[in-house]
Amino acid sequence: MSMAIFSRDWLLSEDPETRAQARLGQFYRLMRALMRNPLAMVGLAIIVALLVVAAFAPWIAPYSPLQGSLQNRLQPPSSAHWMGTDELGRDILSRVIHGSRITLYIVLLVAVISAPLGLIVGAVSGYFGGWVDKVLMGFTDIFLSMPRLIMALAFVAALGPGIENAVIAIAITAWPVYARIARAETLTFRTAEFISAVQMQGASHARVIWRHVIPLCLSSTIVRVTLDMAGIILTAAGLGFLGLGAQPPLPEWGAMISRGRAFILDQWWVATMPGFAIVIVSLGFCLFGDGLRDVLDPKGKVKV
Amino acid sequence: MSLLHVENLRVRFPTDHGEVEVVKGLTFDLGRERLGIVGESGSGKSMTGRALMGLIAPPGRVTADRLEFDGIDLRNLPESGLRRLRGARMSMVMQDPKFSLNPVIRIGEQIGEALQFHRSMNARARKQAVLEVLEAVRINEPERVYRLFPHEVSGGMGQRVMIAMMVVLQPDLMIADEPTSALDVSVRATVLEILDDLVRRRGMGLILISHDLDMVARWCDRILVMYAGRVVEECAAEKLHEATHPYTRGLLASVPQLNETRRRLPVLDRAAIGAGT
Amino acid sequence: MISIENLTVSFGGTPVVHEVSFAVAQGESFALVGESGSGKSTILKAIAGQAHEWTGAIRIGGDALGKRRDAAFVRRVQMVFQDPYGSLHPRRTVDDTLSEPLAVHRIKGHDARVLAMLDAVGLSRRFRFRLPHQLSGGQRQRVAIARALMLEPEVLLLDEPTSALDVSVQAEILNLLADLREDRGLTYLLVTHDLPIVSFLCDRLGVLRAGRLEEVSDVASLRAGHLDSAYGRELVARSSG
Repeated sequence: MSMAIFSRDWLLSEDPETRAQARLGQFYRLMRALMRNPLAMVGLAIIVALLVVAAFAPWIAPYSPLQGSLQNRLQPPSSAHWMGTDELGRDILSRVIHGSRITLYIVLLVAVISAPLGLIVGAVSGYFGGWVDKVLMGFTDIFLSMPRLIMALAFVAALGPGIENAVIAIAITAWPVYARIARAETLTFRTAEFISAVQMQGASHARVIWRHVIPLCLSSTIVRVTLDMAGIILTAAGLGFLGLGAQPPLPEWGAMISRGRAFILDQWWVATMPGFAIVIVSLGFCLFGDGLRDVLDPKGKVKV
Repeated sequence: MSLLHVENLRVRFPTDHGEVEVVKGLTFDLGRERLGIVGESGSGKSMTGRALMGLIAPPGRVTADRLEFDGIDLRNLPESGLRRLRGARMSMVMQDPKFSLNPVIRIGEQIGEALQFHRSMNARARKQAVLEVLEAVRINEPERVYRLFPHEVSGGMGQRVMIAMMVVLQPDLMIADEPTSALDVSVRATVLEILDDLVRRRGMGLILISHDLDMVARWCDRILVMYAGRVVEECAAEKLHEATHPYTRGLLASVPQLNETRRRLPVLDRAAIGAGT
Repeated sequence: MISIENLTVSFGGTPVVHEVSFAVAQGESFALVGESGSGKSTILKAIAGQAHEWTGAIRIGGDALGKRRDAAFVRRVQMVFQDPYGSLHPRRTVDDTLSEPLAVHRIKGHDARVLAMLDAVGLSRRFRFRLPHQLSGGQRQRVAIARALMLEPEVLLLDEPTSALDVSVQAEILNLLADLREDRGLTYLLVTHDLPIVSFLCDRLGVLRAGRLEEVSDVASLRAGHLDSAYGRELVARSSG
């Protein structure tokens, strides 16, 4: 913000001169509204920290996540091993740091698969209504009515354990929620005059959905995806815990808790440390999602 | 005797570009009469109504040198005291009945609720009072309408129900903010007649807030014309067409007439008006 | 230019417009007046292709319309909606809104056309990249009119274009509509409940009541208060209070 061209006045100008200025101005207003919410900033800080840790894991981690020395097994937290060591003498801090990569990988992949799928199904369903709506929503309801973890279990059992299969399983159970949200959102403005106006200009259905309907569903979907991240992390950890997600020796947090279960009474840190990681990251996504909702969701915001 | 005494009323809202004053020092007295407040969107007329009712939510701020209702200072009244006044002694009719009525409660019960809150009376007396007030707003079958849900009545009927709800406690002051703009032309007159009738029979004070000059001139005794948060003209209703302020004159001229022969309608010169005030 | 014969429009099997016939000449401004529920907006919707259950004949410039509206139709007939708050996409700038019809019809030269149109409807060029919520009601309605004119149509369907506006702004928009008609030789079909607007902007009017056309008359009779039908006279009486 030190450059003159990106001054506050330039960004907040009511009369932007170019498309770029208009877009940057909107983005700046959004960020500023978000900054006023301290909890959302805490959430954002946690997410940024997660990203940084994941990106630089090999440099940050003091030890190897996979190799330990058996002399050092089950050491309590100390200055040498801040989070202690596990039953194979591996440094838990290093494993948690490397585990962030796996968590992030799962979360992002699930979001990239399920959110667009749900968005498109929901927008098409809401836009056309009638029998298209009935068929698509019937289909959605079938998926929605199945419990997520059990579905994921069934898929993994059929496809074989592993991170990729866990991701597919979670994505398949996650999209119906987004479809429901996108449809509900679409229904509120399906008959709005601005939709009639573009139809009257000869725009095809595909164009109306893609350029006019979906952008309006986007913000509520983004909010929901962010809030769901916590659930996705927990489901992935759950699968890991049950031995159906990431396979040893990968340092997946859920799997680490599962291994630590055996020593929970005498060596509490083995299971607790990755547990903390899960709680903190989930909380970060929740807080940020809540903040985003306040900023992005036009409903409930009173304009004077 | 003056029912409402307002001196230097100001309403402010904080924005990105500093604090904005939407009502800039309004002063007037209201007796048991019909006062019209006319102005266009953004003139501050609705904010005035809301400020009088104590309905400006933070971060909006209301200040006044005097703000008295029947000798009660409204400025320092706690919320609980205000709530007791609102409904019982002063009430407000909003623009659209569809958004002001709870959709899942029967009409009769909604009207009765106000009685329950402000008056101690038994269920039978309460129902009797509700039926009477429904009749007073010219609803033909009060017994039937009593049992209906808000979505089962037309817009005009809904607005009458709203009015019934507002007058059931026999308030001394009624503020009607665009009470007819959501209604069909043919229903508007009826609703206004009912309001008028209630004012006359019960001796209420009425503040009618509207953008419609002709309507206000027809139904009020006195008119305040607001522009950009200020009163630019105050006159007796029948003298509206002799108004002197350029804004009022411009507004009157810009309305098309039934026997319109002008090729172009005169347009307000906002710059000139802004300089004049 | 527009010819309507025995038009019956239904919603869910219930007819709301019954056997209405009228014709609008090229360059003429015709008004449909009536109260809400009279079917005046429904007729507009049937022409625009937004109400599909209709029988009878609708002709634009001699060509009978079918159930679907093709690209040739939308370049000839455009519509201005009642609510300037609901008819603009809340997340798209004025520039996006005005460029969209050009993109749909693969017309080149967006920048020049958008700027020329802003000038034509009297909107300052500095509003070009604003979002709808940064505009006043009158400015929004100017954008909506500009959008309708981007494809250079011959016919504008106007659905209560000023009923949501302040009176002083209404005067500006009415002047704009009158000027545009003169400059571009447009044909207007206006729907309204406000008779003085008809008197200002139109040449002839049709009075609708409960889906039936009560009478068609010229504006001179309206100005003189000499409408033929009893219902027409009732409307006049009510409007002059």
